[in-house]
Amino acid sequence: MDILSGLAQGFSVALEPLNLFWCFVGVFLGTVVGVLPGLGPPATIAMLLPLTFNMNPAGAMIMLAGIYYGAKYGGSTTSILLNVPGESASVVTCLDGYQMARNGRAGPALGIAAIASFIAGTVGVLGLMLVAPPLARLSLAFSSPEYFALMTLGLAMVVLLAGTSLVKALLAMLVGLWIAGMGTDLFSATSRFTFGRTELLGGIDFVIVAIGIFAIAEVLANMEPRAGPRMLPVPRGLANLLPTWQDMKDCRFAFFNGSVLGFVIGVLPGAGSTIASFLSYGVEKAVSKHPERFGTGVIEGVAAPEGANNSETGGALVPLLTLGIPGSGTTAILLGALILWGFKPGPLLIEESPALFWGLVASMYIGNLMLLVLNLPLVPLFAQLLKLPAFAMYPLILGVSIVGVYSVSNSLFAVALLTVFGLLGYLMRKLDYPAGPLVLGLVLGDGLERALRQSLMMSQGDLTILFTRPISATILVLAAAILVIPLVRRMNAVRLAAIAQES
Amino acid sequence: MIRGFRRADFWSGSVLAALGAWIVSEAQRWEYLGPDGPGAGFFPLWYGIAMVVLSAALVARSVLAKGVDESRGPLAWAEIRRAFGCWCSLVVSVALLKVVGFIASFALLSWFIVAVMFRQSQRLAWSIAFCAAVGFYLLFDVVLGVTLPTGVWHLAAWGPAWTS
Amino acid sequence: MTRILTTFFATALSVAMIGSACAAFEPKRPIEIVVHTAPGGGNDVLARAIAAITEKEKLLPVRIQVINRPGGNGAVAAAYLAEKRGEAHTIGLITTNWIIGPLVTAEAKVTLQDLTPIAQLVLEPAVVVVRSDAPYKAMKDFIDAAKDRPGQLKQSGGSLTARDSVMRQVLQNATGARWAFISFPGGGERISALLGGHVDMMIIEPQEAGENIRAGKMRVLAQVAATRLPGFPDVPTLKEAGYDVALVPQLRGAVAPPGTPPEVVAFWRDFLRRLTQTPSWRKYLEDNQFEDGFLTGPAFVHAIDETTRQLRRLLPEAGMKLVR
Repeated sequence: MDILSGLAQGFSVALEPLNLFWCFVGVFLGTVVGVLPGLGPPATIAMLLPLTFNMNPAGAMIMLAGIYYGAKYGGSTTSILLNVPGESASVVTCLDGYQMARNGRAGPALGIAAIASFIAGTVGVLGLMLVAPPLARLSLAFSSPEYFALMTLGLAMVVLLAGTSLVKALLAMLVGLWIAGMGTDLFSATSRFTFGRTELLGGIDFVIVAIGIFAIAEVLANMEPRAGPRMLPVPRGLANLLPTWQDMKDCRFAFFNGSVLGFVIGVLPGAGSTIASFLSYGVEKAVSKHPERFGTGVIEGVAAPEGANNSETGGALVPLLTLGIPGSGTTAILLGALILWGFKPGPLLIEESPALFWGLVASMYIGNLMLLVLNLPLVPLFAQLLKLPAFAMYPLILGVSIVGVYSVSNSLFAVALLTVFGLLGYLMRKLDYPAGPLVLGLVLGDGLERALRQSLMMSQGDLTILFTRPISATILVLAAAILVIPLVRRMNAVRLAAIAQES
Repeated sequence: MIRGFRRADFWSGSVLAALGAWIVSEAQRWEYLGPDGPGAGFFPLWYGIAMVVLSAALVARSVLAKGVDESRGPLAWAEIRRAFGCWCSLVVSVALLKVVGFIASFALLSWFIVAVMFRQSQRLAWSIAFCAAVGFYLLFDVVLGVTLPTGVWHLAAWGPAWTS
Repeated sequence: MTRILTTFFATALSVAMIGSACAAFEPKRPIEIVVHTAPGGGNDVLARAIAAITEKEKLLPVRIQVINRPGGNGAVAAAYLAEKRGEAHTIGLITTNWIIGPLVTAEAKVTLQDLTPIAQLVLEPAVVVVRSDAPYKAMKDFIDAAKDRPGQLKQSGGSLTARDSVMRQVLQNATGARWAFISFPGGGERISALLGGHVDMMIIEPQEAGENIRAGKMRVLAQVAATRLPGFPDVPTLKEAGYDVALVPQLRGAVAPPGTPPEVVAFWRDFLRRLTQTPSWRKYLEDNQFEDGFLTGPAFVHAIDETTRQLRRLLPEAGMKLVR
């Protein structure tokens, strides 16, 4: 079916009043779910599934998809305002977003997050519409060696996130790798580092670590001064509440970077939006003219990851709708939902159910627009949250963290772990260990180890498989470049400084 | 002589070195190289070794560094005590979750933070505690249907949790 | 919307009247079905389907709620269920993982012997698939190729304790052929590994691969089932293909917490029996290509014991160490 006629059919489905209503419900719910830490799209979609049985399937799919990509819009809010990551992909937004809020630029941060999300989300839908089937076939060429290379690239970002002490950044990353390894080993079913506890058999959820290290640690650190914490300045006036034209210009590349990288990574089954946001942040920092400013509140550092995690949803729908392969938890539920409604997700879905596919695509354009319209006016509203006095704000943050963790894991053990990681995060701040690399190690550790072992199993123990396959070789060279170039720069800088001192 | 910074590096490095050594010892209990490929012990062994090496380097640097590092002042123990006190209250609150449920323990935590950490009036503290607890209950339990811990006496266990 | 509100008020009302246990058990609160996967996983989808069919056919006076307790291949869910001792409104959905877990994982302390079995619901068959452009047209072709090049052919599948891994062990023992097994955590990755040419074969549930088979991207070599499935009338079973091996079952069933009183168990058994007799359930079985394996009482317990014995023998051969 040719694209224009498909799109025409799609819009005729998506613009039906009832479906428009479901689209709105979906994106609205998604935004709310995204704002609240812990509660995520998978749980919400699963909860709403029974209610969809009496709806028309296209409308139901439109709504559930709306929750999926809507949540990515909302996730940045608490990351920027409270340093509490709304969901795992928003952790990267905390790095620069919260710093921007500390500098009085919470409004522009929230605004650029919404704008970048809109641009990237739309690009993601465009990609889904235009290149889905061929891209899906291409993505099949990606397997364990390529994943390993991709993860190595991600870890190479450590060097970029390092800050002053590379040794401490690497140590933090290693601790992250260790935490990632806790649980049952996939290949041999041995349990590692579980300390004999059943609850640790499944490993430690990323959300628990992230909220502990970012949010709880932040609260603890702010408790220190006797006179009360330094409150975040509240932006005044419309000019300070939205991004300026200069901001938009600065983010030109970030928009492009986030959209494309997020979409491509979304297409790969198994790679997630967290990796997408880390990689786009890293790429943005690598090409920036002022990389040392990243981490202090640079607007591109918010635009790139926020865009990436939005276009990733478009990308994740590609394998789902063209091959029937779910790439992540949320798409797995969507797959189950499609089957329950009587569709047959697989290579023949687009041909056999064009109304579903094109209706969904059309509704995503509409949904992204709705989200932009919803979120931008909310920016000043959310920014007022900063007016809360500290003694009200901090219990709020702690309460939201506890509820968030409990709702995700439904276990008091997890909340106890949260306090442990809160302490760890606080200690890391005092001892000057950067939190970013730990989170990076945690996110990538699992995937890295799995990909390496799978690759070696595929090649019967031959390590050269990583270098003989073209895609993985290319990515590894890139990773090496990212590792080596800044190191060389550093060493040169140290040498120059030493020379300057001597003379 | 201001050596606070170096001492911190020394101790954190030592702790991490110990952790790395422990990881290495655990890793040796598992299979290093199985018939099909690397076993469960492969990765932990290597990052354990890396941890030991890097933290040893950190410790060495902290001991051998020449000169005084001025970038950080002496550790403000009073401030750290405050932060630690706050953390302890959080731990107590989480421990109480199992006994009295979320509403009560969160109210207590809020009260502690407002009254003790910020030294506001008791009336303000209790009213914030009350509002926060009720607000959270209304938002999460009633509207969103997220079940919150209810403790041994099942306080407020009649939350509808209408979603399935 | 009104349905939500009505349910809300009805539930609140019924919760307020917690009646005492009478001779015949009647559920008064929403029922919890505990599953060991995250939303979207195997038993989660089954539980939601059960909830949907129950609602549609009005089999219960109360709602069903699905509780996810993923982790440790069922150990976390089993532990959760064990905590709910005597609780009549909670049941759990099991798979063979709940048998395997305690055998090989020390932390998985709750075994099926601790829980109260209610009924087995379905047996999941499997099919042996290869890519459609592969040179293997029958099971024998693959086995012969594996014998010629030991260890070079590859199979993608789940963890080492999953059914596809144990079946591989069974086949390797019976034929003397050897091929590699590569674990992937998600079904999507396994399928894309096969479709992308990185592995050669999969043993997969028909409903997961169904669409790719229908689209002609995968070819089925043999069925892991006792009799031919209606969806694959032209494909020989393993026995018909010449490999009379033990068929490791992937069963799905329901259990109750320990210490559940007999009248409650009888109630659940009856409910599930009524469920499996509804036309919606039949259709669900057909759509998902499950085998109806409804068994209750001693027959179910016997099936569990049989499977346990079989796994005790097979798992060490697959390289696992038994801890119980």
